[in-house]
Amino acid sequence: MSLSHAEHIRQAVAAHNARPIPVKLADWVRTSPEGGIAVLFMVVQIACIAGGLLFPDSFRYLLQANIAVTLKSIAPLGLMALGVGVLMIAGEYDLSVGALYSFLSIVAATVANSLNGDIGGDHPSWAAPFIGLALALVLGGLIGCVHSAITLRFNIPSFITTLGGMLLWKGATLLYHGASSLRFKPSEPFATIFGGEYGVIHASIVWFAIFAVAFYLLLHRHRLGNHFYAVGGNRNAAVAIGIKPNRTKTIAFAIAGFMAAFSGVVAATRVGSIQPGGGLGMELQAIAACVIGGAALTGGRGSILGVVLGTALVFTIQDILLLLRAPGFYFDMFVGTLIVVAVIMNTAIRRSRA
Amino acid sequence: MKDSLRHFSPQAHVPVDAPTGGLAPIGAPLLEARNIVKRYGSFVALDDMNFFIGRAEVVALLGDNGAGKSTLVKMMSGINPPTSGEIFVNGKRTELNSRAASERAGIETIYQDIALVDAMSITRNIFMGREITTRLGFLDLRRMEEVAVEILGSAVQISGIDNPRKEVGFLSGGQKQAVAIARAVYFKRNILLLDEPTSALSVRETEHLLGYVRELKSDGTSSVLVTHNLYHAYMVCDRFVVMSHGTKVFEAAKQDTSIEELTDHVIRT
Ligand SMILES: Nc1ncnc2c1ncn2[C@@H]1O[C@H](COP(=O)(O)OP(=O)(O)O)[C@@H](O)[C@H]1O
Ligand SMILES: [Mg+2]
Repeated sequence: MSLSHAEHIRQAVAAHNARPIPVKLADWVRTSPEGGIAVLFMVVQIACIAGGLLFPDSFRYLLQANIAVTLKSIAPLGLMALGVGVLMIAGEYDLSVGALYSFLSIVAATVANSLNGDIGGDHPSWAAPFIGLALALVLGGLIGCVHSAITLRFNIPSFITTLGGMLLWKGATLLYHGASSLRFKPSEPFATIFGGEYGVIHASIVWFAIFAVAFYLLLHRHRLGNHFYAVGGNRNAAVAIGIKPNRTKTIAFAIAGFMAAFSGVVAATRVGSIQPGGGLGMELQAIAACVIGGAALTGGRGSILGVVLGTALVFTIQDILLLLRAPGFYFDMFVGTLIVVAVIMNTAIRRSRA
Repeated sequence: MKDSLRHFSPQAHVPVDAPTGGLAPIGAPLLEARNIVKRYGSFVALDDMNFFIGRAEVVALLGDNGAGKSTLVKMMSGINPPTSGEIFVNGKRTELNSRAASERAGIETIYQDIALVDAMSITRNIFMGREITTRLGFLDLRRMEEVAVEILGSAVQISGIDNPRKEVGFLSGGQKQAVAIARAVYFKRNILLLDEPTSALSVRETEHLLGYVRELKSDGTSSVLVTHNLYHAYMVCDRFVVMSHGTKVFEAAKQDTSIEELTDHVIRT
């Protein structure tokens, strides 16, 4: 052997890195779950744009109003899905995020309103909505920690803990506020920061982008993200190497709760009011978005790009169906089919590589 | 048999062909476990087990499946603290009740069940829990990959690994084992524990690893080799400990025993 082994590997790595970009792209599409979903997403977009150009009157996909509405509606689910995705990668579930979304946005709104944070009041307080938001975020994180403590202390599936949590927080919402809708028209600058608009760009989508980048850095470029993958992928291996699984999972639970609260407040700011039942079912959509984007139900697999693309795909489907004036139940049928197809695709990718 | 146990008090111990000058075992052994009991519920996995590792010594840990070898290895690794008993590191009473504590004692382990995460890359597996980071805990991925290539190329030369970004799940059993070995070899300081490390390796890779264990010894690093292959054990080890039902049933230095005698003790128990 004339080359040293390390030199041999180094050359192989260099060759791997020197692949032309189209080859890299093709490899990525072939071998990563989010690569497959990216292609599907592009195909759907191209088809929609073609449809919009061919039938501008009946399929108004390219109309500015349509684009604006879609961009506006993505963020709440996307923000929630980021938290849910991180938790799934760490090997746990949170079914309570939909209930928390409603409960904590109502907490934020009542606190803000009681501190004279409504924009319609006399000399509204600029700080009040921020205080409401901060409280909701802290509560979201703490509730996540409680879910984690119960799950880990009693060694039960988080599916069960947070299913209980979902019902508990749903009930707590009604206990705390009742079933009526709640006005949330926050004072400035809160209203602009979280609900402003510039052309088709709504503040909420900017927040989604900011959090997506932050989560990307956390998950793929930070030590903690590495620990999420390790603990979710093989708990025993993580323990054997000195990672503390309970601490790691608790952080992931807290992130899921935090993001549920944030997504609830962002959505409330956009709509201007809160329906106590508004978040119900969102937990499953968030899990669906993650799974479509390549997250494994068994933990340890998934990516931020996947979560973003999964969310975007879900909303594109919703948009198409709205534009076609299809009844609402078609949405569930399509998303349901998409989940199954996505998981079949991901499993096939994994097998073909093995 | 009791006789053969008695004259092995660690104090009296002198490793076979210990490096001359400086590293002779003056005083306490590197690590000593006394009267270790480990219970899983009512099942007793370690029953009054005594074990020590001298300086620059290669110890063979032998015994049938279920004898408690892995339990003892995991105990020394800090991930499976004993129910009772005492552990001394360099003669000082120490609790090895976490991986961190064991790491502080300079112990690194190649686990029998490999302890790799299939969904993560080779590089990320090697540095799992011990990532190279820049400020604020962000990963220095480039540096990690450089070091990974270096490790993979040197420790055990693994056939067919040419991309440290490859997911471990796509490696063969032998390649996975080699990655686990490379990781432990890189991070070890005083003691390397090898729990059936060659079960999936090729003949060439096995030779390489066993040669490496000998090399470590001449650098002053001690090893514990758990294996079912008595020829391998006899080839590289200075002292042999045979376990059965959670306790020590035979112990001998290389010059005092033979493969035949060791085989006898492993089979009989
Ligand atoms: N986590 C555990 N819970 C219960 N019993 C265990 C556990 N780990 C090991 N054992 C039991 O302890 C005994 C010793 O196991 P082990 O140390 O793995 O043996 P060896 O490595 O010598 O083959 C076996 O009978 C095994 O079934
Ligand atoms: Mg074993």
